[in-house]
Amino acid sequence: MQEESQVNSDELRAQVKEKYRAVAVAPDAEYHFHTGRPLAARLGYDSAITDSLSDAAVESFAGVGNPFSLRALQQGEKIVDAGSGSGFDCFVAATLVGDQGQVVGVDMTEEMLTKSRATAVALGADNIDIREGLLEELPLQDAWADVVISNGVINLCSDKQRAFAEIFRVLKPGGHLQFADIANSEPVPQSAINNIDLWTS
Amino acid sequence: MLLDSGFEDVQIGPPVDTFGGASGETNARQFGVYGYAFLARKPG
Repeated sequence: MQEESQVNSDELRAQVKEKYRAVAVAPDAEYHFHTGRPLAARLGYDSAITDSLSDAAVESFAGVGNPFSLRALQQGEKIVDAGSGSGFDCFVAATLVGDQGQVVGVDMTEEMLTKSRATAVALGADNIDIREGLLEELPLQDAWADVVISNGVINLCSDKQRAFAEIFRVLKPGGHLQFADIANSEPVPQSAINNIDLWTS
Repeated sequence: MLLDSGFEDVQIGPPVDTFGGASGETNARQFGVYGYAFLARKPG
């Protein structure tokens, strides 16, 4: 992931909201990243689960990896999706943990919150609760979660250490953080790190 | 950063060509950007 930088947190947050607002309302537009079912297939999601979900549940998915690939979620686990977007990973997680499990999605973008809440209702997913919030201030009590998942969001936080501290706080002792994000193998010049446009595009 | 935050047993999955074929591929190739899965555990 990128190093900490001098990027303005509020400005970065505003641009991230603008980008993902567009993905929520116009999922079929062209973006610099893949979206929807083709992306889920590319990242190795279980097609049986993806195929069982409605188009609304999948079409605005814009993750960068598969947070379920290194450890399988267990029935009954309590999950937090940090940066839940349109809710795709919440819906996958809810399928995996079953009716006895719980999933809380946290996101900051109004259009994503609206879409994911509507989709959860349409799916009859009573074990999903979508909350407005930031990764740096997760709206959850201490030690609530068995697992925190996240997908392509921590990289968009200007203060990653604070985001990780919040995730650590809401996890139970022995709980797991399983997330996907991008990382670079070639050095990124400071001028690029400080360019907000490159964080979101 | 994960270890600094108190996590342990950190695992990193293989790289995934997240941006291949998308318009962001050029920037991704320039800096060797790929997607990765990460797993870490809170002690206890």
